[in-house]
Amino acid sequence: MLELRDVSSGYGAIEALRGINLSVGRGEVVSLIGANGAGKSTTLRNITGLVPTTSGDVVFEGVRLNGIPTHQIVGMGISMVPEGRQIFANLSVAENLDLGAYLQKNKVENARQLELVFALFPRLEERRKQLGGTLSGGEQQMLAIGRALMARPRLLLLDEPSLGLAPILVHTILVAIDEINREGATILLVEQNANAALKHSHRGYVLETGSIVMEGPSERLAADPRVREAYLGER
Amino acid sequence: METFLQQLVNGISQGSAYALIALGYTMVYGVLKLINFAHSDVYMFGAFMGFYIANSSWFQATMGTSVLSGVVVLLGAMVLASMLGILIERFAYRPGRSPSPGTLAFWFGILGAGFGYLLGKTPGAVAAGVLAGIVVGVILEKWGVRPRAQSSSLKILIIAIGVSFFLENSGQQVFGADPKFFPQIIPTKVLNVAGLSLDSQKLTVLGVAIVLMVLLNVIVNYTKTGRAMRAVSFNLDAARLMGINTDRIIAFTFGLGSALAGAGGILVSLMYPKIDPLMGILPGLKAFVAAVLGGIGNITGAMFGGLIIGLAEVMAVGYGQSTYRDAIAFVILVLILLIKPTGIMGKGMVEKV
Amino acid sequence: MKRRSWIQASFLLCTTVLTSCSRDQGQGDEILIGEYGSLTGTTATFGISTMNGIEMALDEVNQSGGLLGKTVRVIVEDDQGRPEEAQTVVTKLITRDRVVALLGEVASSRTLAAAPVAQQMGIPMVSPSSTNPAVTEVGDFIFRVCFIDPFQGLVMAKFAAQSLQLTDVAVLRDIKNDYSVGLADVFVENFRTLGGTIVADEGYSEGDTDFSAQLTSIRARRPQAIFVPGYYTEVGLIARQAKSLGIEVPLLGGDGWDSPSLVEIGGAALEGSYFSNHYSVDDPSPAIQKFVGDYRDRYGATPDALAGLGYDAAQILFDAIRRAGSADPTAIRDALAQTKDFAGVTGVTTLDENRNAVKPAVVLQVNDGKLVYVETINP
Repeated sequence: MLELRDVSSGYGAIEALRGINLSVGRGEVVSLIGANGAGKSTTLRNITGLVPTTSGDVVFEGVRLNGIPTHQIVGMGISMVPEGRQIFANLSVAENLDLGAYLQKNKVENARQLELVFALFPRLEERRKQLGGTLSGGEQQMLAIGRALMARPRLLLLDEPSLGLAPILVHTILVAIDEINREGATILLVEQNANAALKHSHRGYVLETGSIVMEGPSERLAADPRVREAYLGER
Repeated sequence: METFLQQLVNGISQGSAYALIALGYTMVYGVLKLINFAHSDVYMFGAFMGFYIANSSWFQATMGTSVLSGVVVLLGAMVLASMLGILIERFAYRPGRSPSPGTLAFWFGILGAGFGYLLGKTPGAVAAGVLAGIVVGVILEKWGVRPRAQSSSLKILIIAIGVSFFLENSGQQVFGADPKFFPQIIPTKVLNVAGLSLDSQKLTVLGVAIVLMVLLNVIVNYTKTGRAMRAVSFNLDAARLMGINTDRIIAFTFGLGSALAGAGGILVSLMYPKIDPLMGILPGLKAFVAAVLGGIGNITGAMFGGLIIGLAEVMAVGYGQSTYRDAIAFVILVLILLIKPTGIMGKGMVEKV
Repeated sequence: MKRRSWIQASFLLCTTVLTSCSRDQGQGDEILIGEYGSLTGTTATFGISTMNGIEMALDEVNQSGGLLGKTVRVIVEDDQGRPEEAQTVVTKLITRDRVVALLGEVASSRTLAAAPVAQQMGIPMVSPSSTNPAVTEVGDFIFRVCFIDPFQGLVMAKFAAQSLQLTDVAVLRDIKNDYSVGLADVFVENFRTLGGTIVADEGYSEGDTDFSAQLTSIRARRPQAIFVPGYYTEVGLIARQAKSLGIEVPLLGGDGWDSPSLVEIGGAALEGSYFSNHYSVDDPSPAIQKFVGDYRDRYGATPDALAGLGYDAAQILFDAIRRAGSADPTAIRDALAQTKDFAGVTGVTTLDENRNAVKPAVVLQVNDGKLVYVETINP
């Protein structure tokens, strides 16, 4: 469904990605783990066109995405929950969700999708009139995910959804991700919390200073001593 | 008492002029966090467009002094002003935000026109100059010479000042530096109410200003495009991720703001019929103060800010010294900013998280 | 005359560069005279009328063989109606173009800015129409061919108090303009001496567009007339706003009103207002009628007083050069100082020991959109 071939990217003289190869199949949950600054977010931003690639191809359902503006990529069925949530704090919860469906013209479908989001995160329905900026961190994360879902994406990119959340909320979010995947969306999950990410994904990639150093089924990665030592805090 | 009430009326009509300009200022700032210094020149441009429309032979032949002809001139000027605003955004501000093909060709074309004129002073020479400029621009772009897109607010601010000077000087060349007099296109009637003289024209201006303010509020707060504008204003990347074509929304914002400036140009010229290419500078500055006073980014605040500045000015002249007319706006600004830095109706911005 | 192309727009800078390359060098068979005036800006008609008058005088003198066997050439500079610019262009005319004499300005504030330069460089300057007394006090190289404000102010004070029998008059002056302030002071002083009362004295600044606050204050004092010694652009706007505030009394003013644009701007609101001026086109004297006819043929417009004064200033300067028998600036200055009984279109000019002209003034009224002669007041 999504394929990255030999993708490099950088900001000025700093090279953030050095020719990575990665693929996501239809219906999969794929996790991308690695330390801070390894290039995980850059990978996602390359896919959605927020940051241009310097070389290599990003191909989604047979279409090369390089150079296509972000808003068109979103229109092709890719949604992203950006790092730090980036909800519109000056807009109400309902308006945030409406914006998620910016490109979706079908009102009936949108209403149904909104119900789905509210079913997934009942908290959002309670707070629909509130300004986004007044929500707690966990609620903001729910809003960010709900907003991305409103576009009815076939591929959902999640950038550190568990960052800064209490363990109980991390669990809620991850369970929701499983649910979204069951509903049919393919997911690429970027996480620092390798333990959680590998538990909730089919396959995984390990990124280190801009290069993929390991890949494979999640259980195998979780069992790998190098991964255990570096990312799961075991000696 | 009668005099005081009359001064109140005078102040409100002067204030509605500032409010009209401040509306566009504050909206563009609200969305883009950009102080669009060219705004006051678009206002000037609108006034001149209205002047030329009203003096065109077509207009003279078909229209007279009526409310309808006022509407025709107003809409015409708004459309032309918004086109200028979109042009400014496309070729001056956008290249500062993202690499925009065609930018070099555009500016080299203008440069070429100037050289063509200097060398030949014939339309042919000018056209050849434009063509040569565009070719040079296109070739340079092919070689990879592009405006560097590093959005820094200081850079954009300086571009804005440059555009403003460019428009003022162009205005002096194209429209002529000497003042022109705006024709009376809507009927005037002086109404006498309890010793107060109410000029129907000034009432019209105030009315239109209020209507535009309400309309603007509706657009920004209750339409899909308005929602997109607010999203763009808060977080450009997140807005892109919603599938919003941010360049188009920004262009729309400029177009809307410039249309308001154009409307301001016409309405103010109806009240104060002297127009010249530098007419926008001082009112623009005071309107900016009005926008800050009301809480920049807040549309209703801009309206009140404008009225306050207008009233203060008229009271300063009426009961004090006319020498301080232009200073009073800034004195008020300093006072308000000391007491409430976000302006009268401004909210402390929610920090981006 | 002035072709403007929008293309030129982008190129103010380049134009400047180009003009400065084509340096005007006075050749041996030419006498170079500099003229500076407001060809653009809020007082543009002042500069243009004066320039037209000077052009007519210039063509006449060159058609009759020039001066001292040489052709006279006038180099015109636009000061955009700004005092600092006036100073700059006069410096340029003297140091770069090497003119032997200067003509200008109309507005006293601009003449006052430029005169010290001419005085210091020893180049005689003849102002056609600056009426503020301070102008010729700058030094012995500065002359004028029009009456001065103490006289003009007296004329209007007398006219208001005696001809119109008014007792209560308000004043609205341009507080940033030497001419306006000087004329207002003289008017106030004389009107009081004649037994009248100044009921209000308000100010504005050139370039203002809103005068409603001042006019509202004035309205409360119920004057019988308002003396507005400003320039035509502001006067026109003031007249309109006065009308819209329900003020029906006439406005009074000075020669700063004199412009073809006055009635265009003020419209019907100016009907019945009076101002003092240097001459009237209705004057039946053959010299004036010939001038008016020639001017109409050439420019398609009726000459205002500034055109007449421009014409006279140029003729008086040419006459002085002829009498001096030399194009040396100091010799021209000495000859100018001797000017006596020169018969021009704006009356007979004799320059007194203070280098001022002593001439009668006329009062004109706006009537049906035209300027109608009311009376002449002699010094």
